[in-house]
Amino acid sequence: MTSPLKVLTANDLAGGQVVFLSETGWSDRYADAWIFEDPAAADAALDAARAATLTLADPYLIDVAAVDGLPVPTSYRERIRALGPTIHPDMGPQAEGGALVEALQQAKGAARSSGRLGLIRRK
Amino acid sequence: MLIRLENDHFHLVEDRFAPVGEGEAIADTVAVILSLSRFQAEGEALLAAGRDVGVRMAPADRVEDLICDLPRLALVALDFPKYRDGRAYSSAVMLRETYGFDGEVRAVGDVLIDQAWNMVRCGFDAFETSVGPNAWAAAARRYRHVYQASADHRPPAFVERSQAARRLAAQEG
Amino acid sequence: MFQYDAIDAAMVADRNAEFRDQVSRRLSGELTEDQFKPLRLMNGLYLQLHSYMLRVAIPYGALSSAKMRALAHVARRWDRGYGHFTTRQNIQFHWIKLSDTPDVLDYLATAELHAIQTSGNCIRNTTSDPFAGAAAEEVDDPRVWSEVIRQWSTFHPEFTYLPRKFKIAVTASPRDRTAARAHDIGLVLRRNREGRLGFEVIVGGGMGRTPYIGATIREHLPAEHLLSYLTAILRVYNRFGRRDNLYKARIKILVASLGAAEFARLADEAWEAMDRPRADLPDVELARIRASFGLVDFRTLPPRSERFEAAKGDKAFARFARNNIVPHKVPGYGIVQVSLKGIGEVPGDCTADQMEALADLAERYGHGEIRVTHEQNLVLPHVALDDAPAVHAGLAAVGLATPNINLVSDMIACPGLDYCALANARAIPIAQAISETFADPDRAEQVGELKIKISGCINACGHHHVGHIGILGVDKKGEEYYQLTLGGSGAEDAAIGHVLGPALSADRVADAIDKLVDVYLAIRQPQERFLDTYRRTGVGPFKAAVYQDAHQA
Repeated sequence: MTSPLKVLTANDLAGGQVVFLSETGWSDRYADAWIFEDPAAADAALDAARAATLTLADPYLIDVAAVDGLPVPTSYRERIRALGPTIHPDMGPQAEGGALVEALQQAKGAARSSGRLGLIRRK
Repeated sequence: MLIRLENDHFHLVEDRFAPVGEGEAIADTVAVILSLSRFQAEGEALLAAGRDVGVRMAPADRVEDLICDLPRLALVALDFPKYRDGRAYSSAVMLRETYGFDGEVRAVGDVLIDQAWNMVRCGFDAFETSVGPNAWAAAARRYRHVYQASADHRPPAFVERSQAARRLAAQEG
Repeated sequence: MFQYDAIDAAMVADRNAEFRDQVSRRLSGELTEDQFKPLRLMNGLYLQLHSYMLRVAIPYGALSSAKMRALAHVARRWDRGYGHFTTRQNIQFHWIKLSDTPDVLDYLATAELHAIQTSGNCIRNTTSDPFAGAAAEEVDDPRVWSEVIRQWSTFHPEFTYLPRKFKIAVTASPRDRTAARAHDIGLVLRRNREGRLGFEVIVGGGMGRTPYIGATIREHLPAEHLLSYLTAILRVYNRFGRRDNLYKARIKILVASLGAAEFARLADEAWEAMDRPRADLPDVELARIRASFGLVDFRTLPPRSERFEAAKGDKAFARFARNNIVPHKVPGYGIVQVSLKGIGEVPGDCTADQMEALADLAERYGHGEIRVTHEQNLVLPHVALDDAPAVHAGLAAVGLATPNINLVSDMIACPGLDYCALANARAIPIAQAISETFADPDRAEQVGELKIKISGCINACGHHHVGHIGILGVDKKGEEYYQLTLGGSGAEDAAIGHVLGPALSADRVADAIDKLVDVYLAIRQPQERFLDTYRRTGVGPFKAAVYQDAHQA
């Protein structure tokens, strides 16, 4: 079995907004997120984020899976977190729209824990 | 480091009490601190020998179990294994208010500066902490007023208010 | 209404200065997140799913026009133009920045508002009757006693690190609008045969994973001994409440494990041992507090308002009057309830514009007073019936005239997974779907009183256990599912609801509610509410309707 893909996320310490590690630093956009294929690299990035206590709060890794070639978080909690409140489509990263946002909005299923990637599906 | 509160002043003091760990032999020093169970087994002999004895209470230990011995104890140390475990505050208030204990009540364990005012208000007068006495004093006095009567005998807001009303009445009278 | 004096203001100022220092120590790296987290929580600042959330205390749910305007200003300047009124009569701002928080708190302090003890394992904001000072049937003003408790519990040195959070409710009416029996302590004020004020003391109610209706441990505690007796209860809880398991740490578990009689004995023992005259509030302070609540300048009016009656010619106003206005203790006045449950809206949300409109209406027509209810609505407690049509028009202009108080679309919903980091499922979209299903106001009125309460997780902030219909969101194999309960009540006839059957997927919930309502309409007897019918018939007919196609479950 191949290891799940990972994305590193946190909240910006001063502002509180959700951020993702991109290839050029931390970004407010899930679309920019660096997709880790190597679990060891993901863990190393997490350690570095934990040390960045001056700028970040609560960094952690999330599982993502490819859906139609797009990286989608496997848990609906993380999809909502990456999008913004579903009741306010104008708020949060979802406001900018695009294919990836749409993929996140339409994905269904998959538990909080990893290991159930097979459950993820498009509506 | 041990901070003592005496006559409204916080200052560093040398700790003359030797703690006795679980299973350790009792030191030769005059003053020792024992756990409640060690005290119940060996305290009588130490007191009879004229030693100064303190008892270290875990949060779950009941201060009721010390009532008969309180007049002979030099101090009661109340342990905070985690600072969020607030049982020792009730123990301290009961020692002071219910049982009238006037020996030292010492805070030991996870003793943080953000709890200085809670501890002082509940009747603690000794603090094993790495914080310096000036910082500790400032944190303990952070609030200029208090709402409740407690073991520190600070006048609560309602006493301040009625005193102010009386002063005003006297001026106008 | 009650006004802070210089001492109250100094307490808040000292706290704000302390927190400003703590925030700067965090941002400079002097404090780690682990060290800082409990400090920010004690000031009501949570890190939620998308951002920080600041919970501002509204002591016993009482606001003035000036305070409401201050909340509107916070919403507009530091948030995204709205706030969320909670089931604890507080307000939450969901998009606050940590770096702004000290300024927000200093600004709030200018309007006598704060976020003290809105989180943490301490005594939280006291719940009280939103009709206080206006309800005809109350035996005393419960705000007086709530303010007594507010002062006593603020920075209480002995009770800041309790095993778990602690919530007290005070009501002085036979109709309980506070969910007193679902609080850690519920206090019901009554007069005994000799006319003396005393509290029925109810202990150990609560929601969460293990819901309980509280047990009465004193039928009539003389009112003047309130603080010493509360101290005794809290001392027993602080000493003996469990600290080894987060889910067993509330006082309800201690009371249930000891038994109410044994808990009462321990409380009495602690009470007897106490220096009660020192612990109780002196009469002079009680009189000062009482005096500051008794100053509403009511006019002498005829009980019947011709203008009010004439306005009922307008169908919309007539409906509003029927559902949202209830009698006031003073002739010619009414209590106007403002629903924050517009059809398809987010329960409890209120925009800055709406807050300001309410502040204006309260100032012009309502003696400057606004109340927050634990059912996430607002109240203008003192409106002359002559002015009710103008108030209705003013509310309608800002979308706040929804005539559905206590009806099926007047739901409680927690923020759920749309905001909350603890949630397992969303609550708001479920509420919206149900609300759309019952958008027809004639049908809603035909159904009558029906309290639906929705929580997005077992912490039960949405009070689902005490809903006539309760809805609990769960995570079932990676999808949002909803567990229905029937027969709960948070009022004077308090009860915990019973599980209806297997959890339903999100798209089946509104339809299931529709079926439950149809069953009720078909089998109800005259004067029966949904809850009464359920209590008479039991779960049978309701379960059959929802699960008639068993394989769909």
